[in-house]
Order: sequence, then C-alpha cells, then structure tokens
Amino acid sequence: MNNAPENRDPRIDQAAVTDESLLLAHEKFLGKQPDEKARYRLLPLNLLFVFSGLIFFGATYLGRYSGHFDPKVFDETAPRGAAAAAAAPVDPVAMGRTVYTTVCAACHQATGQGLPPAFPPLAGSEWVNGSEERVIRIVLHGLSGPIKVAGTDYNSVMPAAGPGSGFNLSPEKIAAVLTYVRQEWGNSAPPVSVEKVREVQGQVGSRGPWTAAELEPFAQ
Amino acid sequence: MINAPTHASLAEVTAIDTRGRGPLLLLLVAAVAWLVLSGILALIASIQLHSPAFLAEYSWLTHGRTQALRETAFVYGWAANAGLAIGLWILARLGGSSLRALNWTIMGTLFWNLGVAAGLVGIATGDMTSFALLQLPRYVQPLLLVAYAAIAIPGVLAWSGRRMNRTYASQWYIIAALFLLPWLLIAVQSMLFWAPVRGTLQAVAAGWYAQGTWTLWLAPLALAGAYYVVPKVTGRVLPSYEFAPLAFWTLIVIGAWTGGRHLIGGPVPAWIATVAVVASVMVLFHHVVLWLNLRVVFSGTGNAIVFMRFGFVAYLASGVLAAFTAFRGIAAFAQFTFMTPALEMLGLYGAISMFFFGSIYFMMPRLTGQPWASGALVVGHRWLVMLGIAAGIVALVVAGWIQGAALLDPDLAIDAVLERVKPALLASTAAHLILLGANLLLFVNVLQSAWAGCRANLPAGTPFRQPATLEATAS
Repeated sequence: MNNAPENRDPRIDQAAVTDESLLLAHEKFLGKQPDEKARYRLLPLNLLFVFSGLIFFGATYLGRYSGHFDPKVFDETAPRGAAAAAAAPVDPVAMGRTVYTTVCAACHQATGQGLPPAFPPLAGSEWVNGSEERVIRIVLHGLSGPIKVAGTDYNSVMPAAGPGSGFNLSPEKIAAVLTYVRQEWGNSAPPVSVEKVREVQGQVGSRGPWTAAELEPFAQ
Repeated sequence: MINAPTHASLAEVTAIDTRGRGPLLLLLVAAVAWLVLSGILALIASIQLHSPAFLAEYSWLTHGRTQALRETAFVYGWAANAGLAIGLWILARLGGSSLRALNWTIMGTLFWNLGVAAGLVGIATGDMTSFALLQLPRYVQPLLLVAYAAIAIPGVLAWSGRRMNRTYASQWYIIAALFLLPWLLIAVQSMLFWAPVRGTLQAVAAGWYAQGTWTLWLAPLALAGAYYVVPKVTGRVLPSYEFAPLAFWTLIVIGAWTGGRHLIGGPVPAWIATVAVVASVMVLFHHVVLWLNLRVVFSGTGNAIVFMRFGFVAYLASGVLAAFTAFRGIAAFAQFTFMTPALEMLGLYGAISMFFFGSIYFMMPRLTGQPWASGALVVGHRWLVMLGIAAGIVALVVAGWIQGAALLDPDLAIDAVLERVKPALLASTAAHLILLGANLLLFVNVLQSAWAGCRANLPAGTPFRQPATLEATAS
C-alpha cells in the first residue's frame, strides 16, 4: 500500500499520514516482536555479524596501537615499556638556564653581573661558589637586608623561589638553576643535587626570608 | 487507503502549529539571516585564500577572523536557530499538544542571537578563543548557555507532557540534542575558560567539544527532521525500524569518542588517537542502521524529499569518509590540506544543512497555514544549493589532493604549491558565490512567507490534503 501524494507543487509538501498513526505504526516494531515461526528473518543476524565484526576490529586495533594506554607513549607502534626507556635524563644545565632566564635574570641580569646597588652579581660571588647549604637556603626562602658580595655592599630584598612561594620552583628546578649558575660566567663550583635541596627543605620547613647574619652558621 | 477524519486532531494543521507560529518563525528568520551573513563571510574568506591582499587593510576582515566569523555565524547562528525551531516543532507535533511556556523561547531566542552578534563583534575585534568551533569570546559563553536553556524549555515540557506514551525516533534524537549541548558547553567552558586544564589536555577537551557539536548536537537535530519528514511524505513505515534504537545509542555513546582523530600527529598520548580511530569505525554501525531505516527516502516525491535525499547521501558519505580519513596513514596525507574543509563542508553543509532545509520546507507551510510565497524561489534555491555544495566539495577535494601531493614533493617551493592549488580555490570561491545566491533566495522566500503567515489568519488546513492513517504493514 502506498498512498504517498504526488507533491508536484514545490510550494507545499503534502503529508501522506497523520502524526498519530506515524507513532502508532512505528511503535509496534519496538520492544517484543510477535513470534512468527514460519518467518525466519536474516537481518538481525546480519546486523549482529556486522556489529561483532566492528567490535573484533576495534579490539584488535586497540590492542595493537593503544600504546598500552600509557600516558607517556606517543608512538602507537612502540613496544611495551618503551616509555620508561625513552625518558632521557634532563640536562640540569639546560633546565637551569631556562629557569634562570624566566625567574632570576630580571634582577641578576642575563650576564650574571647584577645591578648595583640593589642586585648583587652572581659571577664570581663567594655566596654562589661557596657553601651549597647557604645558597640553597637563599633560593628556597629569599633574603632581605644588607649583604656584602665581592667586597661591595648591597641592600634589597630577594623573594623566595622555593615550593609554595610565588615562583613555586620544585627541588629539581632549584637544583638545576643552582648547578647552572655555579658553572656559568667563570664560576666553577660543583653541581647541587636534588637530594641536597630536598634535605635542606625538609630541615628548615617554611619560613620568611633570611638575613645575611642568620646565614653565617651555614657558611662552611 | 484514505481514511475520513474521525477526530479533529487528525487534521494536518492544527492549533499545535498555529500556537507555535510566532516564536518558531522568529527562530527560522534569525537562522536564515545568519546563513546569509555566514555566506558573505565565507565568500570573503574563500577569496582571501587565493588573493591574500583582499580586504587585508581592515584588521577585522583578515583571513583568520573571517574564517572564525564564518564558522561561528554558520554553527551558532544558522544551525542552532534552525535546529531548535525544527526540534521544538517536531516535539510539539509528536507530543500531541501545543508548545507551552513559549515566552522562554522568545526571550531565549533574543538573547541567544544578541549573544552570537556580540560574539561576532568580539571575534572581529580580536577577542576570539583559539579553539575550533568554540571561537566565541569567553564573555558571551555563559550568556549563550543560559539562552539555550531558555529556548529549550518548551521542548522539554512538550516531551515530559506528551499526550501519548509512545515515542518515536525523532523525539529521542531531539531530546538528546537539547540536553547534550548544555552538557558539552558546561564541561568545555569549565575546562578551557573558568578553570583551565593544563597543557595538551586543552587540545583534547577542545577536540572532544568540536566533535560533540557535530555528533551529539547538530547531527541528532538533523536526523530527527529526516526521521519525521521521510515517513510523513512517503507514507511508508520505515523499514527495519526495530533497529532504530541501536542507531541512536551507537551515535550517542560512541559519537563523541571520535574527537581525538583531529589530534593525530599532535602531542597527545597515542591511545587517544587510537581510541578515536576505533570509535570512528564503530560508529559506522549507526550509519548501517540509518541506511536500513531511511532508504525509503529514495521512493518519495516532492521538494522536501529531494533535500532529504541529498542530505542522507551526504551524511552516509561523511560517516564513511570520517572513518577512512581517521586512519593514521591517510590522516598523515589528508590532515592540514583542503581535504579537512572539504569534509567539514560535506558534513555541515551537505548533510546537516540539507536535512535542515528539507525539514524547513516541510514545516514552514504548516506554521504559516499556507504554501510558500514563491514556488520559483523554492526551485531556484533547491538547484543552486545542490550545485553550490557539490561544486564546493569537489573543488576543495581537488585542491586538497593537489596540495597533499605537492607538499610531499621536496623539489617544490611553498609558493609553487599554492600556484598549483589556485584554480581549484577559484572554483571553490565560485561555489561559495552560488551558495550565497541560493541562500538569498531562501531568505527572501522565508521573509515573504513569514510576513504573509503573520498577517493573514487563514482557517488552518485550507491548502492541506487530509493525510491518511499509516498502517504498519511494511517491514
């Protein structure tokens, strides 16, 4: 039965059926189907095959190219465990240079020469090249008040850069930036380890900026 | 078999249509106005691809902005307004009672369109975000969310207060779309604007949203129109309709997982793209069932059916092509070429908009109670828009193919590549010109019909033949 209108007039599309009968006629096909033994329908089975095929493809493809759902695997063909092997150690000097440029260079200058009379130099500074205990404390918590560097007096405030401060540098970044300044501009002090920074941080906890006098006991 | 009307509600046009006339016509006129504006912007953006100096002295009309303006006007102007008008109307008709609380829709429509307009000004002055399909400045985003909810309220009421307990596929798709866009917007706004997630997660969230606007919002609205108009006009029960719920749930559950395919080659973990490839293939099940259900579209006659037929073919093609181009080996070739805009045009213009046009051509006479103002404009729009879309897609595919092959040739300088692509881009501009002309015809016709419908209060149903009762015999 087909009672579709001819619809020759482009200005109006005549409807063949009412809304109510549209709902009624289609509703019959949802839910439980009448069991017609004589009529075997192939379509549901075919759709099941199609869907199973898609699932099979999907599962196989995921298994092969998912990178084992590792957040660090970017190459879908990488074998398992490749992420850990591929994570190359970071060069602390390169990392330190980045940190220095974004955090420190505004005051101490890219040349490490500082800006008298407020900002002392790092190049050739006995504070930088001296005790690592002392210089770690300065970066972690800041320093305020008068300080004598390489024979010249400076007086200003250096903000804290450690965890929880405005710069919020991690122990890794502090170790990296200290290692960087201790070998740059003619400085030649040994590198600072992450463990040492963590140790000092654990000993001191959180506090306000140091003064030069307070740092006297850590000069060795 | 033509049954005599036994009940007043069996008439084709009733108070259900006339009560909703004002607000729904407002949505429709706004939609088509945005479509024309988006066509002008698309033309400018297309010209700038082969003549970069075109309008370059105006910062607000440089290519980056015209492109964002075109896309925003198309999706949030045209598609949103049109889809909501169609959705509300179908919910009212299948629900069996007039739309209630329509003041919400009127206010929502005003604020939605003001929001989109303010957003376009914001984009033109440089406030756009960097996320595709979400380029509206962040300050209009909350307004849009609230306005959308207001427009949708009568739709939800029509669903929850429906006369008949039975439901039909169109209703599922519309209700899903009404609820899923706010979910997408809330989630993506929080993740990108109010409490931004860090790093590559932003790209993942933006890709998920961009895919969601297509699979969870516009495609359901468009399909709802097709599911409604096709059996109404052909007078046939959709074959294999018992599988329609499977098509619905496949799209809703798997659809948005395909978002990650836009990130292939990007700095995201491999599994995100892999899952998206799998989802793009799995969602083909939705297209298979859709083919089983809606293939009767090829047996009908009439204007709306022609649009539905075009949209149906484009929808199936875009599904297959999306799955095909999702694979890494093909994405490496097709990504970042004109293939991407070609696929977007196939989806948004060829499928979604053609479904919308078909629904609008069916709906408009029932809202106004009289035929369209001009038959010549209807036919003109029909042919021009089909020609424009087909030419535009072919031009972009050719451009993408040439570009993809030429970019892989190390002996070719970049300007030589552009020189080779230029003829195809000129053809694409011509296609956009045709589309603009086509949509101007539609605009004039919509204005005339809406004007005539608002003035004359004809007794409803005069030009409409009495529809028959559908008998559930076919399967």
